[in-house]
Amino acid sequence: MGRLRIAAALAAALCAQAAHAQDETVTIGIVTAETGPLAAPGKFQMNGFNLAVETINGAGGFELDGTTYKLELQVYDTRCNAAEGASAMQRLATVDAVPIVLGELCSPVAAAEAPIAQDFQVPLIITVPTAANLTEEGNPFFFRINANNHQLNRALAEYIQANEIKPLAFIAWNNDAGRGGVNGMHALLPDDYKDGYVGYFNVGEVDFSNHITNIRNAGAKGIMLLMDEEPGALAIRQIRDAGLDAQLVGTLAMGSNRFLDRLNATYLNGMVQYNSFPPTAPIENIKAFNDSYKAKYGEESHGFAAQSYDAVFAAVEAMKAAGTTTDGSAIRDALAEISFDGVIGPIKFDEKGQAAPPVYITEWCEGGDRKVIFPTELASDCGSG
Amino acid sequence: MATAILEQLINGAMMGSIYVLMALGMVLIYGVMHVLNFAHGVLFMVGGYMAHLFFFNLTGSYPLAIICSMITLALIGMVLERLIFRSLRDNLRMQIVASLGLILIIQNGVVQLWGPHALQMRPQTVDSLVKVGQLSFTVQHFVIIGVVTLAVTTLYLFLTRTRLGTAMRATSQHPEAAVVVGINPNRVYTITFMIACALAGLGGALLGPLFLIFPQMGDAPMLKALSAIIIGGMGSVPGAIVGGLGIGIVESMSTLVVPTDYRDTIVFGVLILMLLIRPWGIFGVRVRGEH
Repeated sequence: MGRLRIAAALAAALCAQAAHAQDETVTIGIVTAETGPLAAPGKFQMNGFNLAVETINGAGGFELDGTTYKLELQVYDTRCNAAEGASAMQRLATVDAVPIVLGELCSPVAAAEAPIAQDFQVPLIITVPTAANLTEEGNPFFFRINANNHQLNRALAEYIQANEIKPLAFIAWNNDAGRGGVNGMHALLPDDYKDGYVGYFNVGEVDFSNHITNIRNAGAKGIMLLMDEEPGALAIRQIRDAGLDAQLVGTLAMGSNRFLDRLNATYLNGMVQYNSFPPTAPIENIKAFNDSYKAKYGEESHGFAAQSYDAVFAAVEAMKAAGTTTDGSAIRDALAEISFDGVIGPIKFDEKGQAAPPVYITEWCEGGDRKVIFPTELASDCGSG
Repeated sequence: MATAILEQLINGAMMGSIYVLMALGMVLIYGVMHVLNFAHGVLFMVGGYMAHLFFFNLTGSYPLAIICSMITLALIGMVLERLIFRSLRDNLRMQIVASLGLILIIQNGVVQLWGPHALQMRPQTVDSLVKVGQLSFTVQHFVIIGVVTLAVTTLYLFLTRTRLGTAMRATSQHPEAAVVVGINPNRVYTITFMIACALAGLGGALLGPLFLIFPQMGDAPMLKALSAIIIGGMGSVPGAIVGGLGIGIVESMSTLVVPTDYRDTIVFGVLILMLLIRPWGIFGVRVRGEH
C-alpha cells in the first residue's frame, strides 16, 4: 500500500511537471508613464499592451520548440522621468531578468533607457517617442516601431506647401517631441513658410492666450499644434474663441472621435492632422483592431495603443524566430530580421532599428466625420478616416 | 500693438486673479499659523474636481457647484489642520516634508478616483463670448476677475470688521496675548485653514472650467502664488494681492517681447531680484537680523 502511494505521488508529480513544461510564462518588461502629467497617453499605451497580451494568451499563447508560452507583463511607471526610466530599465534587466522591454512614452526617458538596454543586452522596443535622433545612436538593442518626427512630418510638409498655408505658426510642447517637430517641419519647408510664430509651452500648461496674441500679430495663415489630445483640444478652443480662423494642422492625437467629443464639429471643421492610425480607415487590420479595442475599452482606438499592440507581437515574433524566450542577444538579432503585417501596417526594422509604418493625413469634415486625404491612393470620402 | 496689449492685459488680470486667490490662502495660513503649506496647489486642484462633481452629479448649477466646492474644501482644510498641521505647527521643516507628501498622496488619489484623463466642464459662462473690439474673450474671463474682486473685498471686510477676523489678526500678531484676551488659538487656526482651503477651492472651481481639470492643474499656480507672496511680503494680505496680480500681468505682457517659453523665467527672475534687493517683499516688514 505504501509503495502504491509513493508511486501515485511520483506519477502525480511527474504529470504536474509535464503539464508545467507545456505551459510556461514569459514576462515582458514594460516602461511607461502611469502617473504624472503624461499619465493619459500612457494609459493608451498600456491598453495596447494589455489587449495584445489578452489576444495572444486568449488564443492559447505561442508555441516554441513544443512548449506553449503565455505572456505576462512586468510594468514600471517611469512618470516620464529620465532617472526613473533608467532605474526601471536596470531593474527589468537585472532583478526581473526579462528577455525584452517595450514601451516608453517620452523621448528623453527612452534616451536614458537605451544605453542600459545595450549594457545588459536586453532589446528595447519603444512604441511612442518620436525624436528622430533616438535611432541614430548606433545602439543595436534599441528599436522603434512607431514613425519618427521625420517620417510623420514629410507628408504634412508636402500638404502644407501644396495648399500654400503660409506663414505657418507653431504651438508646441517644450520638449523633444515639440521642439523636434518644429525643427523637423522647418527643415522640410521653404523659408517663406517659416515667418510665422513659434511658441513653446511646458507639459501641464493650459493657457494659450499669449501664443494666440502673437499668432494674431504674425498674421499666420496656419497654426500647427504639436501636442497631445488634451492641450490640443484646449488650444483649438482658445484659438477659435479668440476669433482666429487660421487653418489648423495637428498631430495624430487630434484625429479621433474622442477628440471630437472634447470639442465639436464646428471647432474642428477643415482641420488636418498627420495620423499613423486613422481608426475608421477602410483598412482591414485597422478595422479589426478598432473593433476589439472598442469591445474591451468601450471607446475608439488610439494610435499609441495600436503601436504598443504591435510591439508585443514583434516581441513574440522575434522570440519565435530566435527560438528562445530568455536570450536577449538572440532575440535582438531576430528582431533585426523579422517582418510581419501589424495593425499599423507592415513592420520591418531598418539597420538603425527604425520601422517605417505608413503615415496618413486626415481631415475633419463639416459633420464631425473624418476622411483620409493622403496617401492619395487611399483618399476617401467623409466618414472613413 | 494696442490690441495685443489690451488682450494680454485682460488675460494677465484673469490669471493674476487666480494667483491672488492662491496667494491669499497661503498668506493666511502662513501669517496666522506660521505654516508653509506646499500642498495648497493640490487643494486648488481638488476644488476643480469638486466643482466638476457637484456640477454634473448633484446640482447642475455652476454657482452652486462653486459654493459646494468651497464648503467641501473648507471641511478638507479642517481635517488637514487637525490631523496633520496642528501637530507640526512649530516645525517648519516637517511642515514642508508633510505638505510635499500630501501633494503625492492627493494627486495619486485623484488619479485613482477619476483616472488620468483631464476632465472638462462647460458652464454657459465658458461657452459664451464677449467681443472687445477685434478681440474675443469668454465670459468666464470676466467672471473670474469679478468673483475674485468680490472674494478679496469680502475677505478684507471679514478680517477688519468682524470679531473673528480681529481674532485672526490678533492671533497672528501675538498668540499668547490673544489667549489672555479670551481667544482660542486652536479654533482660530482651524478657521484660518478652512478659509484658506475654501479660497483654493474657489480658484479651482473658477479656473477648471476655463481650461481643464487634471491632477497637476494646481502645480503652476501654486509656484506663482508662492512667488507672489514672497514678492508682496510674506504674511502680507495686500502683498499677496499686488504680488499675484503683478505676476499675472508681467508674465502675460512679457510674451509680447520675449518668446513665450521664457515667461516663467521672467517671473522667477523678478522673484530672485526681489530676494536680492528687498527680501522682505513690497509690503513685508524687515525683521531684525534679516538681510
